[in-house]
Amino acid sequence: MSELHTSNKAQWWKSADVKKTAILWVILTPIIGYVGTVVQLRSIGAPASEVMASVKSLMGIFTWAAAPVAGLVAALAVTALLGDRHYGDNPPEEADHEIRNSPRAAATWVIVSTLLCLFALITGLIVLQKDAKSLLDAKAININVTGQQWVWNFDYPESDGVRSEVLYLPVNKPVVFHITSKDVKHSFWVVQMGIKMDANPGYVTETAVTPDKIGVFDIRCAELCGLLHAYMQNKVHVVSQADYDSWLKTRAALEGAA
Amino acid sequence: MTTMMNRPASAPGDASGRKPLIERLNIVTALVVGTVSAIVIWQLALHFLPQDAETASFFNREDKISLMSLIAWFVGFMTGIGALIGPFRWAFGKDLNHDENMFLAGKDQGIKRYFRYTTDHKVVGIQYLVITIIILFVGGTLAMLIRTNLGHPQGGWIHPQAYNAIVGWHGIIMIVATIIMITGPFGNFIMPIMIGARDMAFPRLNALSFWLIVAAIPPVFISFFTGGITTGWSAYNPLASQAGLGMNGYIAFICIFAISTMVAGANITTTVVKMRAKGMTWNRTPIFIYGVVASVALALPAFPVFFLSQIMSAMDRAFATSFYNSAAGGSGWLYENLFWIMGHPEVYVILIPSVAALMEMAPVFTRRPLFSFNLAIMGIAGISGLSVLVWAHHMYISGWAPLLNAPFMLTTELISIPTGMLFLVLIGTLWRGRLWMTMPLMSIFALLWNFMIGGITGIYLSDVPADAFLHGSMYVTAHFHYTLMGAGLTGALASLVYWFPKMTGRMFDKTLSWVSFWLVQIGFNVAFIGMFLVGLAGQPRRVESYASIFNKGNLITTMGAYTIMAGMLVLLHGVISSWRNGVKAPMNPWQAKTLEWTVANPVPLENFETLPVITSDPYGYGKAQS
Ligand code: HEM
Ligand SMILES: [Cu+2]
Ligand SMILES: [Cu+2]
Repeated sequence: MSELHTSNKAQWWKSADVKKTAILWVILTPIIGYVGTVVQLRSIGAPASEVMASVKSLMGIFTWAAAPVAGLVAALAVTALLGDRHYGDNPPEEADHEIRNSPRAAATWVIVSTLLCLFALITGLIVLQKDAKSLLDAKAININVTGQQWVWNFDYPESDGVRSEVLYLPVNKPVVFHITSKDVKHSFWVVQMGIKMDANPGYVTETAVTPDKIGVFDIRCAELCGLLHAYMQNKVHVVSQADYDSWLKTRAALEGAA
Repeated sequence: MTTMMNRPASAPGDASGRKPLIERLNIVTALVVGTVSAIVIWQLALHFLPQDAETASFFNREDKISLMSLIAWFVGFMTGIGALIGPFRWAFGKDLNHDENMFLAGKDQGIKRYFRYTTDHKVVGIQYLVITIIILFVGGTLAMLIRTNLGHPQGGWIHPQAYNAIVGWHGIIMIVATIIMITGPFGNFIMPIMIGARDMAFPRLNALSFWLIVAAIPPVFISFFTGGITTGWSAYNPLASQAGLGMNGYIAFICIFAISTMVAGANITTTVVKMRAKGMTWNRTPIFIYGVVASVALALPAFPVFFLSQIMSAMDRAFATSFYNSAAGGSGWLYENLFWIMGHPEVYVILIPSVAALMEMAPVFTRRPLFSFNLAIMGIAGISGLSVLVWAHHMYISGWAPLLNAPFMLTTELISIPTGMLFLVLIGTLWRGRLWMTMPLMSIFALLWNFMIGGITGIYLSDVPADAFLHGSMYVTAHFHYTLMGAGLTGALASLVYWFPKMTGRMFDKTLSWVSFWLVQIGFNVAFIGMFLVGLAGQPRRVESYASIFNKGNLITTMGAYTIMAGMLVLLHGVISSWRNGVKAPMNPWQAKTLEWTVANPVPLENFETLPVITSDPYGYGKAQS
């Protein structure tokens, strides 16, 4: 490579296209991060459990962590596109350099992407650990969930065999669901609480959550299970402890009468 | 037989005597023999197969009959196309002579050779191109039915059974189309010329791999009329064992297609390893070749597993075995594992050749060398290696093995490192290039944009807690369309425009390529951004109706889908009109430096008169400043 080129290389950050890229990067990164987070988190809606709140913050963190990378790629692409364009049926002259490599750029790129990857992994593991612990909560209410084409049934084994097609939960009490299916695979999804677990015939699977908002939320089947899969939906009512107790009592009385 | 040995087998339409068998077989005989065999076996089975005992717990006589008919179709079709002539003649010690081999290569047969068991790799490439276009057309039509039905929350005008069948049919044939869309047409037509070879290593296997795909298609079409593939493309058991006879069509389709992929994989890998031109060391081998080999080589471990999973499914259906039946000691999780051990590598089977094709085009349209060739190879190798170790990220919430979630999260997120390398190579090549503004060049930008979104959403999905929310929702559907279509198809369409002049001898109409590019890309982003949003709001995938809160997002997606359709129709028009009366292409319209541009249009039967000798890699663009 020529003299000129080497001296250029020593002060590579001074060239016009590098400056342009840097400015674009600084502009694009916050825009990508902001739009990406706002659009996604707004679509998700208000969380009804801590699990869901941490899903939302995870997605926000990941989006912000990804924004500088996406911003850099976008800045480089835009700079290239704003640069030396040629139209027509014949190729332009060949570029006036023959750069085939840049060990420094490549190494930086690989190291940064490795670090980001580790960051994503560790943040994910921390939340996963927390979710896993809640399965072992001895004070939790146990509820058996049974999927069958195309309804959900909820059994409350600790409350005189109460069984219901609508799920009632007391607010701020940990719950562990024991999930199975009578026929094909279904997937038990409590949307606003951010939990989902497949219902497999022949096995019992578990997931746990502590609802922290009073209200009515959605349960939807998230695994194609045949003809009326789209209609395999239901509601979960999160109520105060007092309301919950009285609901259990009336249900138990109904069961007794039946 | 002796007479056949003595006369030139290629003499066309010898009116006097009967033509030898090898000349009489073509797609018509194949369809006839296949259909007749299927009907004969079907009737025989109907008459002679004993009824299921009334006390039996499984009724599977129908399954046996339909599977037997499908096998008969397959054997009949392959016999009728002439796939067995070579092996039989060889086994009986009368291998094909030179003239017969030249006939098989399609010498002097004009258009007819496209409907025969022709071994010339250029014919096979064109055949693959046409069949890919046909499958994409059918799959696209099905997609439009799905999107039209979802334009309204109550869905409505398609019956749920038919809707599920359409979703499954769309899914599986599009997966097949995207698997073959680059390695089929361009891997067969262009790749051997690019490495300076006269044909593939095993020309007859090449014909075999193509005609197996043709044989595989009717079963999946017929399945639509025998209950349909109502399980989605993943065909999970026990849902699949519960589904109607249409599932047998799926099983036959997958098994035949898997054989085709394995045959093509062995053939392409051998060709590249053994038949590169003199002097084409690994460092001088074009990056597209690496992409094709990585793709078919990944299919080599993946597709036998797919094959096996479907054989087991067929046995559960027809013989009441219990591989997947938990009531009798089996497990649906077994199926899920087998399926995704194929399923994840398979997505990179689709992606890698597409990115590699764009890497091949990048130096051509920026007039500068490929940036970091070695990193490109590292990236491809890294992705291929890791991609067989991540399958259970599709099963995080299946409950199969919660303790394995963390390790699979690790391997999955590691894939973003080699994926990042591919980004660097592309973006580094664009940097300080002289951009020649063509549709293939803009496709590189489109791929960067789409695959950025596809890749980042992939990271959310690989995070176990986030996946517990996102799995099974429209978000996943949007993610994989961003990767399969936004990245994969974008590269394939660019390849079509780029290699069209060599394959057809004519230039692809420039205006039409631009119009279709923008319609497809804009429509695509509208459609699948909308789909992300409804997924985040909680809409499950594969539903035929949905809560009215999802209406706006679905409407956006449907409008985007119609825009894509318009773009694809423009492209189809471009293919047909340019092929018929486009501008005649010069030998090297893009002034590129790979070998396929050094042969004349149309490419002569044996490609090269004298085989080339390679002295440098094909990326010597650009001049040093002086
Ligand atoms: C950049 C790296 C990528 C990561 C980290 C990633 C991650 C994931 C994860 C975790 C899932 C499972 C989601 C779920 O079902 O809950 C998934 C699904 C999927 N991905 Fe990716 N992905 C990546 C790239 C790709 C590429 C390049 C393709 C295809 C070309 C692809 C195609 C698919 C498909 C087809 C599915 C869904 C299959 C189904 O359930 O029907 N992905 N991806
Ligand atoms: Cu379902
Ligand atoms: Cu995967």
